[in-house]
Amino acid sequence: MIASQPAEKLTPPVTAGRRPSVTFVPADASGVARIVMDRPDDPVNAIDVRFMEDLAAAIAAARNARPRGLVVTSGKQGQFVAGADLSLLRGTSQSDIERASRAMQRVLDDLAALPFVTVAAINGPALGGGLEIALACDTRIAADAPNVRVGLTETRLGLIPAAGGTQRLPRLIGLPRALDMILTARQLAPKRALRAGVIDEVVHPAVLLRAATDHAMRDKKRKPKGGATVVERAATHLAPARAFALRQARSRTLAETKGRYPAPLAAIDAVAIGLAKGIAAGLDAEARSFGELAIGETGRSLTSLVMLTLRQRKAALEGLGKPRAIANVGVVGLGFMGSGIAQAAAASGLRVRARDRDAAAVAKGLSAIRTLTTEAAKKGVFERREAMRIVGRVTGGPDLAGFRTADLVIEAVFEEIGTKRRVIAELEDVLRPDAVIASNTSALPIADIAREARSPERIVGMHFFSPVHKMPLIEIVRPAAADPDAVATAVAAANALGKTPIVVSDGPGFYTTRVLSTMIGEAFTMLAEGEAIDAIDRAMTAFGWPVGPLQLVDEVGLEVAGHAGETVAKARGISAPTIVNTLVAEGFKGKHKGGGFYLYERGRRKPNPRVRDLLGPPTHPSGGDIAERLTFTFVNEAVRCLDENVLRSPAEGDLGAVLGLGFPPFLGGPFRYADAQRQRIVTALERLAASRGDHLAPTESLRSRRPYFEP
Amino acid sequence: MPRVLILGGARTPFVKAGTDFADLDVLDLAKAATSEALARTEIDPGQVDEVIFGNVARPVAYHNLAREVVLSLSMPTRIPAFTVGLACASACVAITSAADHIAGGNADVVVAGGSESLTNVPLTLTPRLARALIAASLAKSLPAKAQSLAHVRASDIAPVAPGIRETSTGLTMGESAERMAAMNAISREDQDAWAFRSHRLAAAGWDDGRLAKEVGPVYIDGHAVTADNHIRRDSTPEKLATLRPVFDREHGTITAGNASPLTDGAAAVVLASEERARALGFEGLAAVRSYAYAAVDPADQLLIAPAYAIPIALRRAGLTLDDIDIFEMHEAFAAQVLSTLAVLERNGVGRVPVEKVNVMGGSIALGHPFGATGARIVLTLANEMQRRGARYGLATACAAGGNGAAIILERA
Repeated sequence: MIASQPAEKLTPPVTAGRRPSVTFVPADASGVARIVMDRPDDPVNAIDVRFMEDLAAAIAAARNARPRGLVVTSGKQGQFVAGADLSLLRGTSQSDIERASRAMQRVLDDLAALPFVTVAAINGPALGGGLEIALACDTRIAADAPNVRVGLTETRLGLIPAAGGTQRLPRLIGLPRALDMILTARQLAPKRALRAGVIDEVVHPAVLLRAATDHAMRDKKRKPKGGATVVERAATHLAPARAFALRQARSRTLAETKGRYPAPLAAIDAVAIGLAKGIAAGLDAEARSFGELAIGETGRSLTSLVMLTLRQRKAALEGLGKPRAIANVGVVGLGFMGSGIAQAAAASGLRVRARDRDAAAVAKGLSAIRTLTTEAAKKGVFERREAMRIVGRVTGGPDLAGFRTADLVIEAVFEEIGTKRRVIAELEDVLRPDAVIASNTSALPIADIAREARSPERIVGMHFFSPVHKMPLIEIVRPAAADPDAVATAVAAANALGKTPIVVSDGPGFYTTRVLSTMIGEAFTMLAEGEAIDAIDRAMTAFGWPVGPLQLVDEVGLEVAGHAGETVAKARGISAPTIVNTLVAEGFKGKHKGGGFYLYERGRRKPNPRVRDLLGPPTHPSGGDIAERLTFTFVNEAVRCLDENVLRSPAEGDLGAVLGLGFPPFLGGPFRYADAQRQRIVTALERLAASRGDHLAPTESLRSRRPYFEP
Repeated sequence: MPRVLILGGARTPFVKAGTDFADLDVLDLAKAATSEALARTEIDPGQVDEVIFGNVARPVAYHNLAREVVLSLSMPTRIPAFTVGLACASACVAITSAADHIAGGNADVVVAGGSESLTNVPLTLTPRLARALIAASLAKSLPAKAQSLAHVRASDIAPVAPGIRETSTGLTMGESAERMAAMNAISREDQDAWAFRSHRLAAAGWDDGRLAKEVGPVYIDGHAVTADNHIRRDSTPEKLATLRPVFDREHGTITAGNASPLTDGAAAVVLASEERARALGFEGLAAVRSYAYAAVDPADQLLIAPAYAIPIALRRAGLTLDDIDIFEMHEAFAAQVLSTLAVLERNGVGRVPVEKVNVMGGSIALGHPFGATGARIVLTLANEMQRRGARYGLATACAAGGNGAAIILERA
């Protein structure tokens, strides 16, 4: 019943005599009564204890009133119920959480058992518990509006739907589609939800209540069929077919989660039990799993990440200046990053003027933007006409015409200090004095880029991650000389783009590239010591990283990775490993450039034997846990970034590592992981420092017992 | 009354119909010109009060093309927009309407332009078939639907291309121009010489960067179209002389070489009240001084009306022909331009020095997207006036139906 978009605020103490969160409105002349959900202290109607009690009371009132039909609706404009209030999970015990789940199940059972027709009028996000409320109704009508989304998003939090979602959804739309929705935590737009069978009708927002009332007057109580097709119904209700579908789902899930995430498997189990032994047994399984998962380390890590992400929108602006309004954005450089940035800006409603060196390059970039947008439209991210408007918001040219109206210009040109400085100089000639210039660089210090600028105070860093349309993080770099308003504007821009901003200090590699390069550098060291290429990468993916460090270097490109590594190493006064440059010199420049640590032949990847030749014989006997050594190196460096005030907070460190670098989310981030495994990490690093060098020694703050987060 | 400044503008390349822009429709072209005009002028779309577009061959989907431009470019939705038609002078009407709205205090910043895709001319159905289909769609029963279609003949099935003949005379443009050439004694040699001049000056205009400055590339599927494609750098009077007359094969003088081609393209300019322009920090290229429309009997000299609009515009401006430093005249046909010059002289308006006319070529070389040409000539005139520091400039366009437009600009 927990959703991914809960209230940002914690529930304030209940005050006597306040307006209830849910009210029953008796039938009017039509004979249709309403239950109106409108939590007074929360903008998204997140479900808290009080909400649950008020809903129960409203359902009881409806039962007594015996109207002809009932519409369940939200009192908020464009908001239905975005899920449970995550603060419900804080500091409670497993049995408390399990009890809360059972209580909500009972409330929704009562709703489902009402003897008259019930219709949910969905006017906004109906996620997690919000959709479970709607599933307990006979009919669901949704408004055709961009903010309307339905989904059971709990697995993203390491939890499972626990207010009947695992039971009612498969019975409504069939096992295959229901598992897909639950396991992917997919949020469906109204029309897709209609096609999936979750929603019965999609209407214009202005007609929503009337349509819902009409259904409540005319419809009959009905029993869900368990799927639209014979095959779906068989998979739902026919034991052998069901067993096959469940087996497939389990093995696919295991392959994807590598066993690191218990929630999807628990969800499959709850679905399976419910369909085999009946809804009561299913609900029982749901509640028990929910309690276990919520209290488990994975669930707590993922929940905390989601809460950090939600809070970060506002928290990122703390201590900064006042953001300036942004309507027009300039983008310089329409390569892979630049076109991704321009597309993201246009998709969030900003007008974009882009520039590249000549018309041919502009044409290529604009074409990439169009492709990104139409691909997204095909996946249902936005509607087709909106996609055309997004494309219409981006124009470009081979010069800086149109840049004088820009409020923010993001440069994404080649990662070379001279090129970047030249672009800054050209921009300064044409931009308004109040326009902010953001450099998209992964490693070059912003102060260096801005060194020759006339007004360096308006130049900040906006480090985007690749591919831009998928990666949710932007690292905002704040040079010492920066105008606080300019930094705030970049943060606001990141928010506007729907990305999570973290604000870090200027310096080689900032935070993300610095920790990543340090870890990759250690991987090179282990390679020299004698570990095999694929052994290192395999160990890391098995640990929960999305990709191994050496494969990552191949994908980023050896020159880019080598450059970042050198920038970071130089700043720390250590020498960068030479293997990357040696490989580049031999023509191994990356996955699409002649191979790198691997050779790529006919779509197959195998370790490059030349690497061992170049490294010479192993320097150390193999030994020790590869993934732990690399991950602990990462954590140690992250901690050093906090100690050196490169990071403002452990929260931003965790967000940056998970959202930008793929740090295993189930660990919550390097700081949360350090809190959980402090002793093990410190001991391991001390042992490694003794045998492999001081650079591995745990930092002072890691050695101290002070936790990074309040327990 | 507020003075009306032309702040700037841009056009797409003008390309022969059926070539580079074959896959773009009139809205795509209008969008390209408008976004480029806004960018090059450096005007924030939030400042725009109104958008007016001229267009001739209008697809049914775009009842109001100008409004679609506003919406598809995500300009502020509060901007009202309308589309005007005066055949080949449509964009002139867009510009003078904009100027009137500004001068009357009813708008401060207006985007005015024109767009045409003669590749994608909307085909229509024969009236009988169209009536039958509408009747069938309104009919309630299947037999009634069938009944509605009963009178359709096989010959009705073919679609109808939009009229290129004058409704009132039944003559095509070319036939009318042939008649003008004869009435004004314009020789084949003079026409070919004018056409050659048009190509030569247009090529020079591109070579020295003056035309490139007002043309924004159009980006299609990963490639850029950056230049006009009709200009013939290898053209010579001798080569032109070898072409066969098209409209009157026996006695005619008008060939594909001395007429303007069917063209796809769009152009837009940004106009603003002087006060608002100054407040926003714009100098402006030129100001609108006066304008006039005139019309003649289509059965007489169909394309001669500019010769009558010019003296009216001059009178309204309190100027004489000698005051004009530079002329931009739409070249539907070389015969038509030369006829206009001849009639101006004959009527005592004055003699136009040809070296001041179409100094970067005209529609014969550059092409003639009907709805866009008026904006192209005003934009080119304003840019060239600013470059030369000219005091007064005159833009003219003839149009089907016997209409003509003349717009006088003055130094900003």
